[in-house]
Amino acid sequence: MTGNAITVDGVSKQFRLQIDRPHSIKEMFTRRGRDKGETHFWALRDVSLEIPEGSMYALIGHNGCGKSTLLRCIAGIYRPDEGRVTTSGRISTLLELGAGFHPDLSGRENVYLNATILGMTRKEIDKSFDDIVSFAGDKISQFIDSPVKVYSTGMYVRLGFSVAVHVHPEILIIDEVIAVGDEQFQRQCFDHLYKLRKQGTTIVVVTHGMGVVQTMCDGAAWLDHGVVQELGPAPDIAAAYVARVNEAEAAARGTTIATTPSADSFGVEYGAADEPDNGQPLKLVSVELLDADGDVIGAAVHRQKLTIRINFDATEPVANPVFGIGLFAASGMHLTGTNTQIDDVATGKVSGRGFVDFSIPAVPLTPGEYDLSVAITDEHIQHFFVREDRSWRVIVRSGGTLAPHGIMDLRGEWTVSTR
Amino acid sequence: MTAPAKVWEYRTLITNLAQRDLRARYKKSVLGWLWSLINPATTLGIYTVVFGVFLGVAAPVAGNGHSKIFALYLFSALVGWNTFSGGINVAIGAFLASGGLLTRTYFPPECPIIAGSLTVLTQTTVESIILVAFMIGVGNVGWTTVLILPILLLLSLFAFGIGLIVSLLNVRYRDVAYLTALGLQILFYGTPIVYSESLVGSKHPTAAFILKLNPMTHFVGAMRRSMYLLQAPTMLNWIAMTLSALVMTSVGWWIFATKAPKFIEEI
Repeated sequence: MTGNAITVDGVSKQFRLQIDRPHSIKEMFTRRGRDKGETHFWALRDVSLEIPEGSMYALIGHNGCGKSTLLRCIAGIYRPDEGRVTTSGRISTLLELGAGFHPDLSGRENVYLNATILGMTRKEIDKSFDDIVSFAGDKISQFIDSPVKVYSTGMYVRLGFSVAVHVHPEILIIDEVIAVGDEQFQRQCFDHLYKLRKQGTTIVVVTHGMGVVQTMCDGAAWLDHGVVQELGPAPDIAAAYVARVNEAEAAARGTTIATTPSADSFGVEYGAADEPDNGQPLKLVSVELLDADGDVIGAAVHRQKLTIRINFDATEPVANPVFGIGLFAASGMHLTGTNTQIDDVATGKVSGRGFVDFSIPAVPLTPGEYDLSVAITDEHIQHFFVREDRSWRVIVRSGGTLAPHGIMDLRGEWTVSTR
Repeated sequence: MTAPAKVWEYRTLITNLAQRDLRARYKKSVLGWLWSLINPATTLGIYTVVFGVFLGVAAPVAGNGHSKIFALYLFSALVGWNTFSGGINVAIGAFLASGGLLTRTYFPPECPIIAGSLTVLTQTTVESIILVAFMIGVGNVGWTTVLILPILLLLSLFAFGIGLIVSLLNVRYRDVAYLTALGLQILFYGTPIVYSESLVGSKHPTAAFILKLNPMTHFVGAMRRSMYLLQAPTMLNWIAMTLSALVMTSVGWWIFATKAPKFIEEI
């Protein structure tokens, strides 16, 4: 199996249901009759996947789907009941924040302890100690000799992450812990992960951030109830997973019209006819897409003018309502969102039927599918008259020219000069 | 890879874990390390007063031919006992306490228990130094004094083997910790520590025979002979000590190595 850092072959993992188990000798006798039922459950069932060396791999799925169990099997913490996990290289794990930190010991002592748990020798730690601390941030170096129990959660994560990535692992296993850090630290983490990957480290992450999956990961596995639903390139799997989540959400919301995004929902009259009166003074009638000529269209075109028209009906006068739109990638990543307040547009007093146009001179999105949200609120954005989250699917078609990779079209200008 | 070889690979971790426990132990206490002297001193004081003074248990003449000090006679045995009970108790605590770590990162699960045993060994060393210092003070030393090293080493192995099994079982049945405490209490009096083996032998031959079946009788007896009476332990002592240490360590380790991965999930 050359080329694969991790091979998971038909792995199944069973757990005892702890509640059904006598915990003391007395219970062994008193509970005997009750132990007939289901006492085990399968956390993983026949999971097979291959993770190539030097790639970044994501495990996605809802809570309790077996992602973390699989991570632990890969890390060697759990022994699978069936199947085999083959790994090559030193594994470093970051499964929980500050695991292995002793609250009474100083940051310095804990760095040494934690790094040895991850398999580093004292000499190696001496060498990378300064890097570890400086990566974790100024605050840490200031408190490095204080007991870690006075650290904030963020500081815990920083130090823990810093140790885990500095042990020069060949395989790095991360369970959704980075999410705890602040924006700046998260970016720093991802930058570092990117660097590690370039150096050939294989990275396996559990994450709920589809943005991370789409932009950073090569491959992904989607697990549900311990069974692999889909395997493949990360963006595809993320999209499939998000589609399922949206579907489930729509099903849960039940009767609301047009919560499932579809191109057909454009132009459909909202609220006015069949919707029961929800008591809001401002109602959404419909959302339309218009081209440069002002004609209603079914799909937007890359690099062409697009107008998003929000048709509303104010049953009583409303002063300065705020109209907003949001655009999401199919994976759920929030691309942009703006409203009349952000863009400093006074809407004045509205009453009766009317519409608000949001015009985009040249669609800066690459061909693909996007989801549109629309909201109408009071002037303080405290009360929502209308809030339709990702209720329309906007299809962006190719305009006949080549489109850039990714989602954004920056439309920058290239110039070539020679001296 | 065999379990001991794996553990050897992780020796840095073991020493670090042991250091962590030792460093953290007396943090925030004013007397700090003095506690490791105060505790055994108190036990020794109580037993000396109760058994030596109130009950009038007499110590035999020491190896130097004239001293008759019950406190030292008792202390020679207590150092051994403390090594034994400390080794078992630390194993139970160390395995449970490292549960959080063991479910989050991989390392041989024996490591925290071995580290715990090392911390007990440091305590044993402290007590042994005090014992030897006192013996020098009363002029009761001889070549047999150095035998304290192999005896305590075998004793630690014996306790380590039992500790492995007990700590494992305790994960599934928390009764084991209580049972162990109870068992240790019974065994304390079932071992000639606060009394002498010969005292029992002269009055109750059957009881003396049962005492001989207790490995701790041999460990404690060997400690007393070499430290207080300045006589080499008997051949029977050596055989009993070596056998019990080897058997318990290998059986305990074997059980632990095969069962621990499954039990860790339940910590």
